[in-house]
Amino acid sequence: MSDVGLTPYLIVAAVLFVCGIVCMATKRNAIGVLMGVELVLNGANLNLIAFSRYGQLGFDGQAIAMFVIVLAAAEAAVALAIVLNFYNNHLTVDVDQARQLNS
Amino acid sequence: MTVTQLLDRFISVDLLRSLEIFCPELILSATVVLLLLCRMIGVDRRIPACWIALAGSLAAFLGVVVQLRFMQSPGLELPSDFFGWAIGGAVRGLAALFHLTEEGVGTPGPYFTGLMMHDALAVMFRLGLLLLLVLTLSLTVLTGLPDQEDGADFYTLLLGAVVGMLMATGVNHLLMLFLSIEMMSVPSYAMVGYLKGRRQSSEAALKFVVYGAGSAGVMLYGLSLLAGLFGTANFHEFAARFTVAMAGEPFSLTSGVVILTLLGVAMLFVGIAFKLSLVPFHFWCPDAFEGASAEVAGFLSIASKAAVFGALLRFATAFTGDGESIRQLTSYLGVGLAVVGAASMTLGNLAAYTQSNLKRMLAYSTIAHAGYMVLAVAAMMVFRSAAPGGLLGSRDPLQESVLAVEGLIYYLAVYLFMNLMAFAAVAFIRNETYREDIDACRGLITGNFWTQLVCVALLLSFASLIGIPPLGGFFAKFLIFRSIFVAGYLHPVLWGVLAIAGLNTVISLFYYFRVMRAVFILPRAENQRPLEMPGVVAAYSVIIALPIFLLGASPLQARLSETARAISASLFY
Repeated sequence: MSDVGLTPYLIVAAVLFVCGIVCMATKRNAIGVLMGVELVLNGANLNLIAFSRYGQLGFDGQAIAMFVIVLAAAEAAVALAIVLNFYNNHLTVDVDQARQLNS
Repeated sequence: MTVTQLLDRFISVDLLRSLEIFCPELILSATVVLLLLCRMIGVDRRIPACWIALAGSLAAFLGVVVQLRFMQSPGLELPSDFFGWAIGGAVRGLAALFHLTEEGVGTPGPYFTGLMMHDALAVMFRLGLLLLLVLTLSLTVLTGLPDQEDGADFYTLLLGAVVGMLMATGVNHLLMLFLSIEMMSVPSYAMVGYLKGRRQSSEAALKFVVYGAGSAGVMLYGLSLLAGLFGTANFHEFAARFTVAMAGEPFSLTSGVVILTLLGVAMLFVGIAFKLSLVPFHFWCPDAFEGASAEVAGFLSIASKAAVFGALLRFATAFTGDGESIRQLTSYLGVGLAVVGAASMTLGNLAAYTQSNLKRMLAYSTIAHAGYMVLAVAAMMVFRSAAPGGLLGSRDPLQESVLAVEGLIYYLAVYLFMNLMAFAAVAFIRNETYREDIDACRGLITGNFWTQLVCVALLLSFASLIGIPPLGGFFAKFLIFRSIFVAGYLHPVLWGVLAIAGLNTVISLFYYFRVMRAVFILPRAENQRPLEMPGVVAAYSVIIALPIFLLGASPLQARLSETARAISASLFY
């Protein structure tokens, strides 16, 4: 298999990032928003891995990506617990229903 | 290089010294484990979780005190009277207890193979954060926030967040920057939603976590761009790599390297601005603070700000250096920060005026204060961008940037006490009246003697937040405004920012005054009895409020100013 070089990886990462941002901005379901966050994190991870393979970043990029994977899991656990708690109190996970605190 | 070689190098180079420096974080982590273990085997029914947490954080605090002593006077030269002897003995005893040595914690420099930085700035910030942790723990014990059943959970989250904050003060690497910001964020999401049965609290936590996770994602993407562009994640190599990447080209906004750098920095700044609650990433702050309990809101408003300012200082100084192109970049970033600061303080102060909920009002005041504080970093950047012997005349740019950071450190030190007092007062009022709006404060002064003491402490805190002369808040604002004024010689935009900041100080007078009017002038509503707060609450308020006064109108003011200058110098020399 031929080596495709750095650019295709960066393009895929950028597409993932934009998909994630659009997902965060448009989804009304809290779980959907969190899925958008995962896309963004993985886009950044792909960037880091590509830079460590083709750029000068070396082990640093891979180490950062490993930590990000662990952190994303931790963050998702806390976020899902909070969403569940929101559901218990409001009987919905629609983020637009979270408007009791508006001034 | 293989992973084994990397590990070998890590162990042989600086593992022991790193562990010594990392001792406060390790103590806190051990306390967290202990809390969970105690709960598992049922010891928490006999020893309340709060005492374990308090003991752990006091131990960590003492550890940092020893580090500071070693750092300040290498040979531990103390006056040869009884006090000097006692302090020296205590420090030596503690040092032996924590296995701290002078070669280890007394020498500044990077540790953990360059991931973290150990200097006076980091030690001082950690000291302040741990002091705040101890004060917050005592506050939660006083107000009885977590009940017996949930105490271990709450203190686990609180201590875990502080571990992240302590790490943030010493970051020297992009990985640590992201990691420490996430380590302080994730527990704070859960802390905001801690009152799980309340609808408002769960809503606040949901908003906080959704915005927080989103901004963390954007921050990570910006981080990956910067790391890829420079081919390194170490802060101290950024400036050199930027110059190399520019390859002698003149600085222009059409150059690819400049666009990519600015984009990366801007995206990374999204995450930092979110934690600092700067406009336009402040949406979460009023909602989260209104839904969270006052103790948690007070802790988050001070601690996460202080820690992230520590990280921001290091990140910002990474983009300073010698060379025409890097100077221009620094200048752009400095002016950008100043504009963000001006927008934050204006929006914060204007929005605070219309609020009726005390916590919401204080949240907007927090946003405004973050705006004032970020001006100091902006001034520092602008000074660092100045070529020697330029527009500043006889003033030395490096010396001026030390003074700007001195202003920030002074501000944070005073802010710790004044904001904690404000939020503590809200918690005390809530415990007595079960309400948190401004009307609940009406005629507070008609209460018993202890209530009156709390009122006076609240007055001191608000007066200092406004910046009324003899108090600490005045000197803090004055130092920052002075730096901004001098920086105006380099970049006239900063004079405009200074005018906005001055105007904002006047606007802020009104909403703080509204609360004071309710407390001291308006009569109590007819169906409400005068409040009778317990004496211990008043004692706590006096302990917190006294430093606000002393840091302004006593010799301590000069001491703090000197210390702040020495600390900020450690960042540059």
